[in-house]
Amino acid sequence: MKAYRGQPAIFAARTEEERRAHLEIRNVCLNFGGIKALNNIDLQVANGELFAVIGPNGAGKTSLMNCITGFYRAASGQILFNGRDITHLRAHELVRVGIGRTFQNIELFPGMTVLANMLLARHLYCNYSFPGAALYLPSVRREEVRHRKLIEELIDFLEMQSIRQKTVASLPYGLMKRVELGRALALEPRLLVLDEPFAGMTLEEKEDMVRFITEINSAWGQTIILVEHDMAIVMSVSHRIAVLNFGEKIAEGTAEEVRQHPEVIRAYLG
Amino acid sequence: MTTAFPAEQMLTLPRLLSKQAEVLGRDAVAIREKAYGVWHAYNWEDYLRYVRHAALGLASLGVRRGENVVLVVNNHPEWLFSELGAQAIGAVTINLFTSSIPEELRTSLQRTQAVLVVAQDQEQVDKLIEIRARIPQVRKVVYIDPTGMRSYREEEWLLSYADLLRAGEERDREAPDLFSREIARGNAKDIALMIQTSGTTGVSKLAMLSHRSMIAMGRQWTEAIALQPGENWLSMSPPAWIVDQMWGLGVSLYSGMTMNFPETPETVTEDFREIGPAVIITASRFWEDLASKIRVKMADAGWLKRRLFHCAEAIGAAAISARDNGREPAAATRLLRRLANVVIYRPLLDRIGCAGLRNAYTGGHPISPEVIRFFQAVGMNLKQCYGLTEAGGIFQVQPDGEVKPETVGKPLPGVQVMMNEDQEVLVKSEALFSGYYRDFQNTEKAFHDGWLKTGDAGYLDQDGHLVIIGRREDIIKNKTGQAFSPDFIETRLKFSPYIKEAVVFGEARPYITAMVNIDMENVGNWAEERLIPFTTYLDLSQQPAVEELVQREIAVINGQLPEMMKIRKFLLLYKLLDADDEELTRTGKVRRRFIYGVYLPLIEAMYRDVEQVETRGKVRYRDGRIGEITTNVRILTTSG
Repeated sequence: MKAYRGQPAIFAARTEEERRAHLEIRNVCLNFGGIKALNNIDLQVANGELFAVIGPNGAGKTSLMNCITGFYRAASGQILFNGRDITHLRAHELVRVGIGRTFQNIELFPGMTVLANMLLARHLYCNYSFPGAALYLPSVRREEVRHRKLIEELIDFLEMQSIRQKTVASLPYGLMKRVELGRALALEPRLLVLDEPFAGMTLEEKEDMVRFITEINSAWGQTIILVEHDMAIVMSVSHRIAVLNFGEKIAEGTAEEVRQHPEVIRAYLG
Repeated sequence: MTTAFPAEQMLTLPRLLSKQAEVLGRDAVAIREKAYGVWHAYNWEDYLRYVRHAALGLASLGVRRGENVVLVVNNHPEWLFSELGAQAIGAVTINLFTSSIPEELRTSLQRTQAVLVVAQDQEQVDKLIEIRARIPQVRKVVYIDPTGMRSYREEEWLLSYADLLRAGEERDREAPDLFSREIARGNAKDIALMIQTSGTTGVSKLAMLSHRSMIAMGRQWTEAIALQPGENWLSMSPPAWIVDQMWGLGVSLYSGMTMNFPETPETVTEDFREIGPAVIITASRFWEDLASKIRVKMADAGWLKRRLFHCAEAIGAAAISARDNGREPAAATRLLRRLANVVIYRPLLDRIGCAGLRNAYTGGHPISPEVIRFFQAVGMNLKQCYGLTEAGGIFQVQPDGEVKPETVGKPLPGVQVMMNEDQEVLVKSEALFSGYYRDFQNTEKAFHDGWLKTGDAGYLDQDGHLVIIGRREDIIKNKTGQAFSPDFIETRLKFSPYIKEAVVFGEARPYITAMVNIDMENVGNWAEERLIPFTTYLDLSQQPAVEELVQREIAVINGQLPEMMKIRKFLLLYKLLDADDEELTRTGKVRRRFIYGVYLPLIEAMYRDVEQVETRGKVRYRDGRIGEITTNVRILTTSG
């Protein structure tokens, strides 16, 4: 019954402690040959925050996200997550630590269904053995049902019921982005990194996405880092904003503070 | 087994439910809902329990007998729980469309002085909050779907549905006999619900329907097509419409049918297939879309499938046309048809979820005979029906094997239909509505001696089938005072693939004439196949071969029209009627008066003894320039 919905277990069943996320970036530098992609970046994202990173093209936003999620290795500096140094962890290890992400250019399995793509994220939480799965033991079956239920709740939350059995390749771009968000949430991340989740969307798709993101943040306390170009959205949803330009952080603060910052005005208008 | 209930004075919808819970109990599925990708079933006892808790929950919120409760909900079980729950404690329910804008909600809420609103989700709640200051009589808003509602938790005006049920459960523990006491106070003549009618004049009216009407409708349908408990209905039209009200509350409660609720409006096609309903009533548009979808899919199918499909369709068509002519199809055709049924029809119908359909109905706008024949040919029992909110729903259906494209069939058992001197269709049955809410004047006008005036003009054909001509206000009279509906004739003309638009004339004239626009694409293809060269629309419409083509088409249509509605003369207009030239409305409707004025010389010519008339017409080019053309328009006569 609808009346008993709206409480996806993937959010509702987690305790405050299981959700806790605190990210600290200290003096991170990243070079590509002679180019300084990131120069002495310092950032802190507090638990429960919706933190946005903005900046012109090539400012180093995605590079920074790739450092956090283990796709790039910082040349120097430190990244701490809940007090643990994660600077040198690999992507798959970071997922276990509790960092999930979506990609600027969608990285789903196009030939698989939406459901399969999302179930794949639950691999992390599958405890059964290969022989057990091959025999499809009752315990395996129970676990599969549990995962399917969690995914179905997410599908319901993200309003994707009508596409669950469709292959990702057949979907419009905006919906693919939604599937990516769903897959990232299926990882039960403490920190969710969203790399341009609104790019290439229609106005209506953007509105839906804003609704989902603010809901998981405000109702379920999900800590989020958001990289985005659409200033109107960033300004309206984020708690704090950091502005990058040519690999340097030029400003940080609330939407109002950032908007009035002379460096920011220069970078965007100059 | 059909459960027969005595038509007692005290039988109300909630009582009918509790009887069904006794009779069918846990053995039969009353409601099925798809959620989280699987179907969840509720038996009749579950159903009654939820209604009981909803009823007592509403009572604990202070809803009293005779007060109005508004629902702004989608097709989910909570709709039925709330509606029957409110009725159980003697409240009257009104469903509004979830697509209503806040202003529309405000008007309806003020008009009904509703004390409580059941809203589907955050979207509906937001609309209500927007108009809150102007609807002070609304004491509480109960929302069903809690998604996104966490930030509203402090708001005392709002209550979640889960909390409503909890409150009801608690009340039930305190006073275990309260529910049965409440439903015992109900009377069959009490108003159960109200439905907003669209009203052609713009101001909508609220039709009040009693428990007796709804139950009578349930009985009429159950008997007419022998509905069985457990047969499936898929709830897909909005609860604010009469069709799902009549089925969800009247028919399913009476017959014990299962109400199935799709997961979301977007998944209806899939859910439809999974359920395979036994009965469906829907607008002609649905069938037209489905037919064209099947055709498109077949055109893309492999060679073998395509050939088999066309063969099977031809066999079906042969059998249907034999039957239409009153003959038994030849033995060979019958055998082939049985074979086609196994190889083609069944798998095809199964694909679209229609294999379980015992009865399929199309209502609303007249359906194209092509489409109805197509479905009949592939073995689907698609028939036409007719009804209106004030009559308690649909009361006129085509019996099996008597499907004629132009009629809406015969009355259900217990329904009487007749025409008055103005050719207006009158109906009498137990299911008729009790009147318009707080509108004595219109209620008076709606009835004549206990007969409901439908506002539609019609006639009975030789087999006793009702033919609806159109709304009475659209009816025009010819020179001898006989009534006809231009819309009725135009709709039928447009069923021809070669006719795009048609305007029919004949007011105070001795016979009926038509001005026709050909369908450039279809007629163009037809001409190409016959190697007839043409350039523009003007050129194509003046080709003698095209004139003959349309002449033949109209002769066929004339064959289906009664004598006085037959088209005697017509002309093919040299240009397409266009909204830019003010000949059509922006929604594509013909502006008859305007066209009459502009083309008067041409229309006059159709009532004189001429074969050709020279005319000078204005055309607007794409770039906005207005050009003038001089051309000869031929007046064509028709047979049939």
